[in-house]
Amino acid sequence: MFTNTLFLLSAALTVGGALAVVYSQNLMHACIYLLASLFGVSGLYACIGADFLAATQLVVYAGGVVILMLFAIMLTGGSGNKINRYGLEKIAAMGNKKTYFFAGFAGILTSLVLLKIIANILKAQPNTVLSANEPTVAKLGTLLATDHILAFEISSVLLLGALVGAAIISRPRKERND
Amino acid sequence: MNSTVVTYLSQSKEFSSVVSWLTNLLGFDATSFVAFVIFAIGCLIVVGALATIGGLGTYAERKISADLQMRQGPNRVGPYGILQFLADGVKMILKEDIIPSQADRFTFILAPFLCMVGVFATLAVVPFSSGFMLADLNAGVFYLIGMASLVGVGVFLGGYSSNSKWSMLGGMRGASQIISYEIPGTITIISIVLLAGGLSFKTLISGQGGLPQEWYLFHNPFAFMGFFVYFTSALAETNRAPFDLPEAESELVSGYHTEYSGMRFGLFALAEYIEVFVVCGVAVALFLGGYKVPFDLGSGKILVEKLGLDSMFAQNIGQLLELGSFFTKTLLLYYVVIWVRWTLPRLRVDQLMTLCWKYLTPVALFNLIGCAVWMYAFNGKSIYSLIFESAVTVAGHH
Repeated sequence: MFTNTLFLLSAALTVGGALAVVYSQNLMHACIYLLASLFGVSGLYACIGADFLAATQLVVYAGGVVILMLFAIMLTGGSGNKINRYGLEKIAAMGNKKTYFFAGFAGILTSLVLLKIIANILKAQPNTVLSANEPTVAKLGTLLATDHILAFEISSVLLLGALVGAAIISRPRKERND
Repeated sequence: MNSTVVTYLSQSKEFSSVVSWLTNLLGFDATSFVAFVIFAIGCLIVVGALATIGGLGTYAERKISADLQMRQGPNRVGPYGILQFLADGVKMILKEDIIPSQADRFTFILAPFLCMVGVFATLAVVPFSSGFMLADLNAGVFYLIGMASLVGVGVFLGGYSSNSKWSMLGGMRGASQIISYEIPGTITIISIVLLAGGLSFKTLISGQGGLPQEWYLFHNPFAFMGFFVYFTSALAETNRAPFDLPEAESELVSGYHTEYSGMRFGLFALAEYIEVFVVCGVAVALFLGGYKVPFDLGSGKILVEKLGLDSMFAQNIGQLLELGSFFTKTLLLYYVVIWVRWTLPRLRVDQLMTLCWKYLTPVALFNLIGCAVWMYAFNGKSIYSLIFESAVTVAGHH
């Protein structure tokens, strides 16, 4: 019963947060709703006993990504005139018919693809009981350092690339003396 | 949930008698119901006690600063002015709650609560004693880091939503500072996790002993350095001096909470003081032996053997000793934090970033590699046991 309650709460938070992100007219508020939605996802991970993944979700998204997005929103700044010199909308408004249509279409498409992927699992084991409180940290660590070492290293190279790129972009420009 | 307040209390006879009585009364198995009630009471105790400690923190801050500056400090309300924090709290609740007309209302109201939620959620895994812990998660420290990062969001949004330049600058500084200093702090925590071989606080503490030479602080030179790295970054993460740039009063009035009044401001202050307690508790658990009491008094086995006490009674005494051990060490660190605040001058922003990225982060990485090499080279033995063993072999040759 406890797991069910937790699942319902997390699912409501995830879906409600995501809907609020889409319907919100204020970018800053959308970002806060996104935080709520990501919290809900973390709760969903906790429901299936993936405690490490849930904590990672909190550390990465609540701590890093959301603050980064808030910073990015503020650094890009607002724009007074929304129409450019050709008379076209420069900043696409959120929450209009067009976005709802495309978002709904993309949502249906993604869910169909996901359904196709997990169909085999659903067919093969109809009555899988999840063992809730099994520690996953040690297993994850072992797997990351053995079977999935290549993916692990490639992702770290990606992060290194991002770091170097950021350093190059933000370094002071050389003054030309001509 | 391996060992929590519920599993500890379920060992006692009273627990089973209450469960059987309620099972007869209600007509269903009441074990989980009783566990839930105990858990709820435990949560209430922890939140109440820590809120009081946060309140007393403001009193301690003023009294210790007064002591360092040869003043009296608050001395009117109650004996030695100890009830000053209650008077302050009443004042804050009674004050008018002002929301600036140009502020972003939704965010303005939300920001202090985000700070509070972040701090109170970390209390779930703080190991007060081996039996009194609300949840012993397998990813304990990691969960704590994740929840504590919500405070950064709260500080940032508080600064943004006030629609004031001072607040904005304070919030930006706070967020960048908290994100930056999370890196050396987390890397240092990882190096201790390497020594212990687990992320849960139970594992981290059970690798240590009650006596100082068994602590991770004196396990190897890298861990010793790591303690200072962690403590410095913890000061910065909690926005305490000398890193209190987000609320630098000489430049930013009061930083991110300039526009807040009444209890909304009080929530920010309370969250800060409780967070200081939590990070001190984490430092104690990681480096200073946590709740461990010397000579294994915490488990109560010696008391049963030597004094012939009832085992549950002896365990309860052991729990009290462990609570005393944890709180003594943590409050001593708390004193150091306040002491540092009233001793050192504030850093500049560029010095702050230089300290984090050019000194603390490389040192933390060096410590991490050092700890790993130490574990490999000396088979996980502490420096004390190595000296002891070599002394024994030298003595054996004679």
